[in-house]
Amino acid sequence: MTQQQEKVSAFMDGEIDSSEILDALKNDPELQGQWQRYHVIRSGLRKEASVAPQLDITSQVAAALDNEPTVMAPKRSGWRKMFSGSVTPFARQSGQLAVAASVAMAVILGVQQFNQPDQVNSPTGGATPLIGTPGGLAPVSLEQSRPVSRTDMATMMEKKRKINALISDHEQQVKLKQAKQDDNQAKREQQ
Amino acid sequence: MQDVQLPFVFKRCLLAGLISAFVISSGAYAQQASDGTIDQEESESAAQSLERQSEEVKQDEEAARTATHWLKQLAETVSEQNFQVSFVVTRMGQETTPYLWRHAVMDDGTSMEQLNLQNGPGQEQIRVGNTVSVFEPDSQPYSVNSGAIHGPIPSALLYNPESLKAAYKFVTVGRARVSGRTAQQLRVISRDNSRFSYQMWLDESSGMLLKFNTLDLQGSVLEQIQVTSLTLSEAPHPYFAKVNKASLPQPMATRDGETPTHNWELGYLPQGMKKVKQDVRRLPGTGQVVEYKMLSDGLVDVSVYVQSARQALGSDVALRHELNTFLSVNNGNVQITVVGEIPLPTATAIAQSLTVTNP
Repeated sequence: MTQQQEKVSAFMDGEIDSSEILDALKNDPELQGQWQRYHVIRSGLRKEASVAPQLDITSQVAAALDNEPTVMAPKRSGWRKMFSGSVTPFARQSGQLAVAASVAMAVILGVQQFNQPDQVNSPTGGATPLIGTPGGLAPVSLEQSRPVSRTDMATMMEKKRKINALISDHEQQVKLKQAKQDDNQAKREQQ
Repeated sequence: MQDVQLPFVFKRCLLAGLISAFVISSGAYAQQASDGTIDQEESESAAQSLERQSEEVKQDEEAARTATHWLKQLAETVSEQNFQVSFVVTRMGQETTPYLWRHAVMDDGTSMEQLNLQNGPGQEQIRVGNTVSVFEPDSQPYSVNSGAIHGPIPSALLYNPESLKAAYKFVTVGRARVSGRTAQQLRVISRDNSRFSYQMWLDESSGMLLKFNTLDLQGSVLEQIQVTSLTLSEAPHPYFAKVNKASLPQPMATRDGETPTHNWELGYLPQGMKKVKQDVRRLPGTGQVVEYKMLSDGLVDVSVYVQSARQALGSDVALRHELNTFLSVNNGNVQITVVGEIPLPTATAIAQSLTVTNP
């Protein structure tokens, strides 16, 4: 049974041939349910969620719990898998981990905060909260520290947005540079 | 049922233990055996390196000359031959990305090229003569006038290596085996050692690029391009006959506005680097107004942004995004941001060299 489910999962990921699982899928209503649930899970994970999960989850969870045997010993299939070479589930899992880890990979080389300009000594001192002032005083009480952390978060997000805007602009400029040069060359040749 | 299984599990454990013990012991034996031979090799190579040093001066000029020869051959191959190349790009801490790269010279003499990103939704670039069309999943297809596709391999290196001589020196290192072929190894080093260096391996029979490493100043690999298969053919690949040239998007007209003047200059530029562009505009992401200069040595492009300190980041930031170094410093009046594939010390030197010309 679990082998079939693995196959369904692998088929969804386009990792195995359709022929072997398609027949089983056609004939087995339980497997069809599995198929649907996998798709709901996947779209949920990808935040597409266009597929409305029209299932009564509670009853299914209850039923699944009833059917669930209490596993006390290591699974037999574990060793069989290792020796028979059907290790795709392992490989697939580690692959997904790698993907998750590689998202948002900007290595911070070092953040220096030195010689900040005194831009906070504005005459209307009270108007702007003195938050995130480099070298500023540490918050004294808990009351103060809460809004600080929240605005800090906001400034972090804002900073990130600005950094991203600059990096993507640079990448676009690099792409356009060559086009521009060749364009100018073509114009010169026409004249 | 589980009662029956348990003994089996233990037996399997035992078996696995036995097998692994055997593997370990045989591995140790193999290492011992090879240790002896390494000693010999070391003493031999020490003698060789002494000989090498004495000849090095003579060889330097020779190496530069042969490097030129190999680069010329590479340029000829990539612009005149019909080929299909598969290669992968690996960056530190990232997934490997595979590409398919084809080039053909059609019967009417038009040069056609294709670069396809093979994973995920992909990205396809097709070049017909001097027009490159780009198809990406998240944007409208578009075309630009360009003699080369913008891909992981720097196009100046492929088509116009002579233009890089002001900034870099090319040196042949020796022969090696790459992608199952005999290859010539070349090193590309910036003349003032202020930029990343490169190692490249070219196929001895065709001159084709087989491997390309980008190294930081400490010599560790930042990015590696490795060719996994290479096919040179007499006839163009059938793919190119299927490209419907009429259905490709029309090239965008690039606007040639007048160059606005900035009241700042950069006192330091790495050797061979020139200012290639300057303007004032709004950033698409945030709408902030920036004064912009682009520097280029042909191989790498560096962007320098200057904006008022008030709307900028508020603190100094240095980070790396892919190969790009991102450095933003505040000099009291303005925020200076340097982005490009250069080492951090170089970016810092550029940022700190900014001087106001007429306040």
